[in-house]
Amino acid sequence: MKIEIKNLKHKYPSGGEALRGINTTFEGSNPVAIIGQNGAGKTTFAKHLNGLLRPTEGQILIDGESISDHTTAYWSKYIGYVFQNPDNQLFLETVRKEFEFGPKQQGLSRHEINDRIEFISDLVGLKHRLSTHPFDLNATEKKFCTIGSILMMDPKIIILDEPTCGQDVEGNQRLAKIINYLKNNDRLCITITHDMKFVVRNFDQIIVMSKGEILKSGNKYNVFSDVKTLLESHVAPPPITRVGQALRLKDISFSKEEFIDHFTRRIHQS
Amino acid sequence: MTSTLIQVNHFSYRYNQETEVALKNVHFEVASGEFVAIIGANGSGKSTLCNALVGLIPNYFVGFSEGSIIVDEKDTAAVSVGELSQTIGLVFQNPFNQLSYTADTVAEELAFGLGNRGVPREQMFSKIKEIAELIQIDELLDKNPLELSGGQVQRVALASAIILEPKILVLDECTTQLDPIGSRQIMNIIKKLNENGITIVMVDHDMERVAKLADKVYVIQHGTIVLGGTPEEVFCSPHLAEFSVNPPDYYEITKKFIKPGYSERDFALTESQAISLLQEVILYEDRNQKPQA
Repeated sequence: MKIEIKNLKHKYPSGGEALRGINTTFEGSNPVAIIGQNGAGKTTFAKHLNGLLRPTEGQILIDGESISDHTTAYWSKYIGYVFQNPDNQLFLETVRKEFEFGPKQQGLSRHEINDRIEFISDLVGLKHRLSTHPFDLNATEKKFCTIGSILMMDPKIIILDEPTCGQDVEGNQRLAKIINYLKNNDRLCITITHDMKFVVRNFDQIIVMSKGEILKSGNKYNVFSDVKTLLESHVAPPPITRVGQALRLKDISFSKEEFIDHFTRRIHQS
Repeated sequence: MTSTLIQVNHFSYRYNQETEVALKNVHFEVASGEFVAIIGANGSGKSTLCNALVGLIPNYFVGFSEGSIIVDEKDTAAVSVGELSQTIGLVFQNPFNQLSYTADTVAEELAFGLGNRGVPREQMFSKIKEIAELIQIDELLDKNPLELSGGQVQRVALASAIILEPKILVLDECTTQLDPIGSRQIMNIIKKLNENGITIVMVDHDMERVAKLADKVYVIQHGTIVLGGTPEEVFCSPHLAEFSVNPPDYYEITKKFIKPGYSERDFALTESQAISLLQEVILYEDRNQKPQA
């Protein structure tokens, strides 16, 4: 699937201009991260991609078809959006029912639904929690419950709004696994996050937003070496990267291994 | 002389609907003015502990508890949450849980707690203005709290706790939705509050930050405190990995290069320590590699 965004603008009824002319294209299955300061318009932008919000101006084309030509319910089959606040998304009495809801609406067979529950509940780590009430889950389990319920519908494109919030080491590893699974199965995953360690580990493409616009788009090397963009968008490179930059190492480091390699070369140069 | 402000005495707790205990024989003290960090995997009981410190457990959440928690000489089981809130404030993990849902504007939201305390109107206005400027939400005061972004609500949640001037502030992952620079600003403010005497208990997953700010760190696993001490003691513990916690990234990259004789320290836990230690390494190596005259 291909999403083309042309001069997208959005004004909230209160008059605030949340998006001020976004132009970009999503294609293929390389995961994309959207980063940038609070209030930059990241969530507003993401909510346009499956029709939850409609453009005030500009156009969104999905495989050439205007998003305005169909309802949000229609697009939700192809594009899934996982809310930032899980409480906005959960409404049934058990995790199993949350998982069943979407595919039931899609008319999937009992058999197919059960197969998916088996696989998805394992992927999101909630296999042992299927009969639990979603509100009895802890904060990160809730997040995985909402991710699972969207994955159950097997959309071509999935948008995760701040899934890294409050995740521990294991939670981040599980998220990485989900993002990788989507990539390997030709699904595009677009993720909004403030966790820069997570960004440099898992994303090939990064979009930096600031004040309703895309400030920069590129890979981690382009983005995190661009000091001006980082400052303007309230983004700081991951801790390891900052140390490498402060020591003026020739190559930028994103992991401990890279840093150790680059620093070893620095002290052995002569 | 510092005095003990929080005393958690062999406290255990099980939620009504669960079969396993959420907290098991938790025992520790917090001294007045201390900055304490609670770390550990998700589901280990960190948020439950926060709820217990402010008296929501056992006064609000139904369940079974043993042991006691004494906050500023008050037994949390014996006094109301309202009375405790005069001393200890909690910033919730999900900032939307902090909102009163009775306020049409952020200013009213901030006035909510002050109103309950009977603070005179004039004093309220100046207090709201002061805190809003500190937390940088002065431009949001006329906005509806429900129309704010996640990060903005998180600032409002923090402001609504700080405005009540508690002696102790309990922060349950209170900057997860803020951008990196925003969360650094908020942490600087919290550090400043701590320097002014407010005791901080903070749940956090950002080990770089914990190492930089905390006086004491407690690691919790399956509802039990399994490790505690200064950041140095905790992050250098050989058992750390068993508790699903990694030390700050700075630890490994410095440990790797610091040989005996380089410096008094042989590892770093903060960015500035890491940079200065590794600069010493560069200087040392550059000197040694100069061709002999």
